Amino acid sequence: MEELLRISELKLNFNTEEGLVEALDGVNLSIKKGFFNGLIGETGCGKSITGLSILKLLDNNAIIEKGEILYNNKNLLGFSEKRMQKEIRGNEIAMIFQDAGSSLNPVFTVQKQLEEAVKMYRKASKKEYREIVIEELKKVSLPDVESLLKKYPHQLSGGMKQRVMIAMMLACKPALLIADEPTTALDVSVQAQFIQVLKNLKERFNMTFLYITHDLAVVNEICDFVSVMYAGRIVEDVSVRELFKNPLHPYTIKLVNSVLTAETRIEDLEEIPGSVPRLINPPKGCRFHPRCDEAMEICQEKIPELIEVNNNHFVACHNRLRGDDFGQ
Amino acid sequence: MDSNLIEVKNLKKYYNSRIGPVKAVDNVNLEIKKGETFGIVGESGCGKTTLMKSILQLIKPTSGEIIFEEIDICQIDKKELRRLRKIMGFVSQDPHASLNPRMTVFDTLSRPLKIHKITRSKEDTIIKIVTLLKEMGLQTEHLIRFPHELSGGQKQRIGIARALAVHPEIIFLDEPTSALDVSVQTKILKLLEKAKKDFDLTYFYISHNINLIKVISDRIGVMYLGKIVEIGRTDIIYNNPKHPYTKGLFKSIPNPDPDKKIEKIYLKGEVPSPVNTPTGCNFRRRCDHASKICEEEEPELKKLDDGREVACHLY
Ligand SMILES: Nc1ncnc2c1ncn2[C@@H]1O[C@H](COP(=O)(O)OP(=O)(O)OP(=O)(O)O)[C@@H](O)[C@H]1O
Ligand SMILES: Nc1ncnc2c1ncn2[C@@H]1O[C@H](COP(=O)(O)OP(=O)(O)OP(=O)(O)O)[C@@H](O)[C@H]1O
Ligand code: SF4
Ligand SMILES: [Mg+2]
Ligand SMILES: [Mg+2]
Repeated sequence: MEELLRISELKLNFNTEEGLVEALDGVNLSIKKGFFNGLIGETGCGKSITGLSILKLLDNNAIIEKGEILYNNKNLLGFSEKRMQKEIRGNEIAMIFQDAGSSLNPVFTVQKQLEEAVKMYRKASKKEYREIVIEELKKVSLPDVESLLKKYPHQLSGGMKQRVMIAMMLACKPALLIADEPTTALDVSVQAQFIQVLKNLKERFNMTFLYITHDLAVVNEICDFVSVMYAGRIVEDVSVRELFKNPLHPYTIKLVNSVLTAETRIEDLEEIPGSVPRLINPPKGCRFHPRCDEAMEICQEKIPELIEVNNNHFVACHNRLRGDDFGQ
Repeated sequence: MDSNLIEVKNLKKYYNSRIGPVKAVDNVNLEIKKGETFGIVGESGCGKTTLMKSILQLIKPTSGEIIFEEIDICQIDKKELRRLRKIMGFVSQDPHASLNPRMTVFDTLSRPLKIHKITRSKEDTIIKIVTLLKEMGLQTEHLIRFPHELSGGQKQRIGIARALAVHPEIIFLDEPTSALDVSVQTKILKLLEKAKKDFDLTYFYISHNINLIKVISDRIGVMYLGKIVEIGRTDIIYNNPKHPYTKGLFKSIPNPDPDKKIEKIYLKGEVPSPVNTPTGCNFRRRCDHASKICEEEEPELKKLDDGREVACHLY
């Protein structure tokens, strides 16, 4: 499998009045070319920040302590702002932001915003732009495309804004698309159609995706590989099938088991015990140890490394180092 | 649980557009019962948010009545409306846009407490806010942050905290947990359930997550293109959906089971526009059972033996 992008040992802090927020603590992530790479994990664990680091679109108070982001063997962290803008953003790597609605410009119509996006990668006549834009909007199953073009973002429903944003990014045909919770505002039927559109794009243009989501059902439908993040570190790297059949990290196991189904009753809803870790003075050693049933002494001191325990199945847990005592 | 808290009668909200009125909410009738959780599901753009905002008087309905405490709240004055804002809480679909970018989390949460005189002193306010944050899995360090310094799920929980803080009678929640992982989502659902018991709260809950709606709501309404097409007890509708749209919708629910992937797209065809709505039944162009009568006559909501109501000529 070819790697399109690789993040190694990325450490990123935020400077705040309350102290240093240690948001990413040595993230290792491999994005495989031509596949859907999922990124899942607790809210606030650093998924969006990871995506934003790739495009270097971080807040001013962010400090990258160390690490590398290799794309086609070039370290993006060494790129100047100008070079990122010229060579990377949009045409090579694009991102659908989590707050899709807010990232549309409120004073421009849908048509204007989409045309601007298309202009970034293609030269065409005014009439052609319009046609390309209509084509892109139809792909994301929006009704009444013609009248939609003249609308402003506030005149659209949540799911419509999200789809306009998606259309805009797809129009760029980037080699890598980072999609941050792209379907949260879509109902299940539109979502199913949308997933189909992405799959077709992948086939036709050999596009690669980094797909950030909380929805494990969607992960199951679309992803090939999944990285699980906990408090700023990748704790498990696994194929989608093994994620559900044979999760190994204690956090992943709990996550997969807490999925809500139609049979769940409100009385038996169960959350992962313990509290979401602070990122200012986070727990030492394994950041999951205060909530882990299997924690040992070493877990409080030493950071477990991400190690391949099965074929292409990586786990960062002190209790999974021996090859004998897990699953199967 | 049987008295009605709110009655929505013949509610319409048409938006103006150059090519004609957008019928976002088109003649909706429903009751929200005291102490229940009422869930709304339906396709993106079908009018759920518009319905919610119209009931809340955040947008002015085109016509219809909303009866609360025996009066039509579409007609009340500004002062009364302010009282209503405390009684009826609202959690917006877009947490980012609903938070003031220049206010810290603490300011966002303490303002309504002051306005509605919920807490008496600064200490009171701090204690209340810190307790609420902890219950939601947030920490004190988040208090001095601005919205752009928070993750999506952190912002979303601030929106929920703001609504819960002032002890309303009913909370309208528009996709309130869409940015949360399953564990934190569970935490919030439990918190909402506890608040419901403790304060006798009522919820009006919009979500695309049909399994979640199934778990939390007593009754649901299924919306399609501005209209309610099926409404009734959750268990009854879930176990045996009747309207062809509801059936298609439920079959599209994705599963977290690697041996069961969705093979087929059940709801095909173009979503019709709310400007040129089809004659007769709105759904007929996408429906496998459409017959002549569906072209000519608009089906009305009809009560079946099990108590649910369906708007479809098959029944
Ligand atoms: N500018 C900032 N200053 C300080 N802390 C920040 C800033 N931006 C983000 N953070 C913190 O960094 C952590 C990671 O944020 P991120 O947005 O990546 O989370 P996430 O995994 O995408 O969560 P969600 O699923 O809720 O969207 C969070 O705890 C957040 O509060
Ligand atoms: N201010 C407005 N002006 C014109 N049309 C509008 C306006 N607000 C909403 N609409 C239209 O009304 C319809 C219903 O929108 P609404 O936001 O209520 O949908 P929704 O069911 O909440 O969808 P979603 O699940 O995507 O949030 C859509 O066709 C939308 O484009
Ligand atoms: S390293 Fe230790 S604390 Fe961390 S997950 Fe494994 S057993 Fe639990
Ligand atoms: Mg995020
Ligand atoms: Mg909405």
